[in-house]
Amino acid sequence: MTDVLALSQERTQLFHDLIDGRVPKRVPISAAFAHEFAIQYAGRDLTEAQWDTDALEPIFEKTCQDFYSDLLPVSAFRLPSFYKILGSRNFVMGSNGFIQHPEVEGLALEDYDAFIASPFDCIVERVLPKLYSNLDTDSTTKSMVMAKAFKAYTDEMANLGRIYGNLIQKSGYGYVNFYSGFCEAPFDIISDQLRGFKNISIDVRRVPDKVEAAAEAATPLMIKMGTPPNPSPYNATFIPLHMAPYLRGKDFERLYWPSFKKTVEGLKANGMRSFLFVENDWMRFIDYLAELPEGTIMCFEYGDPKLVKEKLGKKHIIGGFYPVSLLKTGTKQQCIDKAKELIDVLAPGGGYYFSFDKVIITLDSANVENTKAVLDYVAENTNY
Amino acid sequence: MEDLKKMEGTIIDLVEQLDEEGVISLASQALDAGIQPLRLLELIDEGMNRVGQLYESKEYFIADLIMAGLIFKDVLKLEKMAAHFQRSYSKRIGKILIGTVKGDIHDIGKEIFRSMAEANGFEVIDIGVDVPKELFVSRVVENKPDILGLSGVLTNTIEAMREVVEAITRAGLRDSVRIIAGGNHLTEDACRFIGADSYANDASSGVKRCRDWIGSAGGKEVRADD
Repeated sequence: MTDVLALSQERTQLFHDLIDGRVPKRVPISAAFAHEFAIQYAGRDLTEAQWDTDALEPIFEKTCQDFYSDLLPVSAFRLPSFYKILGSRNFVMGSNGFIQHPEVEGLALEDYDAFIASPFDCIVERVLPKLYSNLDTDSTTKSMVMAKAFKAYTDEMANLGRIYGNLIQKSGYGYVNFYSGFCEAPFDIISDQLRGFKNISIDVRRVPDKVEAAAEAATPLMIKMGTPPNPSPYNATFIPLHMAPYLRGKDFERLYWPSFKKTVEGLKANGMRSFLFVENDWMRFIDYLAELPEGTIMCFEYGDPKLVKEKLGKKHIIGGFYPVSLLKTGTKQQCIDKAKELIDVLAPGGGYYFSFDKVIITLDSANVENTKAVLDYVAENTNY
Repeated sequence: MEDLKKMEGTIIDLVEQLDEEGVISLASQALDAGIQPLRLLELIDEGMNRVGQLYESKEYFIADLIMAGLIFKDVLKLEKMAAHFQRSYSKRIGKILIGTVKGDIHDIGKEIFRSMAEANGFEVIDIGVDVPKELFVSRVVENKPDILGLSGVLTNTIEAMREVVEAITRAGLRDSVRIIAGGNHLTEDACRFIGADSYANDASSGVKRCRDWIGSAGGKEVRADD
């Protein structure tokens, strides 16, 4: 057996132990960099390189070589080709080439009833033409645009799939994938893509019955979207959570939680565990999170690691909390001390993997030397 | 008279409860019954203060602040209010220039900050999103704001914000303007790195800081819309 293969098996084992509820040999590490970071780190121009996914392998490889991780640390979600073909309004490029999600209204207030009656039809007929300007045209042109965009999308995903496979093999990463599926909490998709942050905040007050019914109606769609063709107990469906920390407790309880819980349980019934990015501070809702199925993976952004360990540590898998902002502004020693502090709280007894509190999106988001030093420290100093 | 007094208390309560229809209907009745527009504004203000307190005690959240801002604007749009405040100069406590820094096209945090700052008596000049540092400098020269607000959602905006502060300093403007950075990802360390005077993780605390600054500077009045 080659060294790389043995390394891959060892790393796979770390995550299998984590997922199966055994204490692994050491704290497993999942570093996460966006493709924008990898492109800039390789010295390439983001505005150009992200158009040519064929050429991304050596670019991603440089990040893989220089930053320690047990799982493949680079992934790409938002690429310009298909958004450009669609004339996207919900994913738009900034002047530095970074594609972002601005505030949009995909669903008009008066279209709630149509959405509740048939979410899929409503999205196709009313929402997509609002979000994608090139679909707002006659049906022949629209069909061509949609076909071209889908072709671009599947081409890009095929390229990325090939690159990911090659890099996992070359670098000996573990065969565990936390991004094997993707969906959102029903309330979040209604907020982020359909109504917008500001509108939904007002809807919660003015038309709560409609919001509740819409979240309910979106739930089967989200479960379907989040279930990959080949579910595996060692892979997960990624669900980035968004709106809950902006809501009052009783609005959360009625409008956010029931459909979200149903989504996670529905995925579980389909053989998928959920990997939640618990964005912002969810400490108000920690007892709700405790209700989610055993083995749900949660990467926390902010909050109290001690409380999370105490309330969720025995049932769920925890990561995150390490502030990317410190990697940007701290000294190397401060950065390492922070890792040590978090690991002392979160690692005992297992159920924990090391990750930053969010994906490192661009080269100027973090100090590269600090980032390397922290990952190396965790890899070398956290044997159980 | 007794009725009007009672109505006044109810208006404050309704604003506090964010009962949009209730506030508008009672405010219209009060105006018909002869309440002075300025007095009505004070009542709404008092209600908004209570909403702010509920936000601070974590009983209300951002969605509630957005609703409160909406109610405030609804009341100002009532015919008698609009007529009154269009004719007279509204007193503004200070001028804030805001923009989302280069590389970031998010505007929602900036929008919420803007409407809250306006509700708190500031004149706000919004120069948009993805704003290069040169434009921040030229607009500061042009508008002479008391406060410069730098907004950002993405983590890499820490770097872009620092560049704006450096450009403001190089242009010799640093002493003439206070700078606040706004974004959920910011920390005290990040604020120091940026070189801003302060930072805020949400619109409400940002506006509060701006009010404190203007208060400590003696609160000059600026005429708006003239």
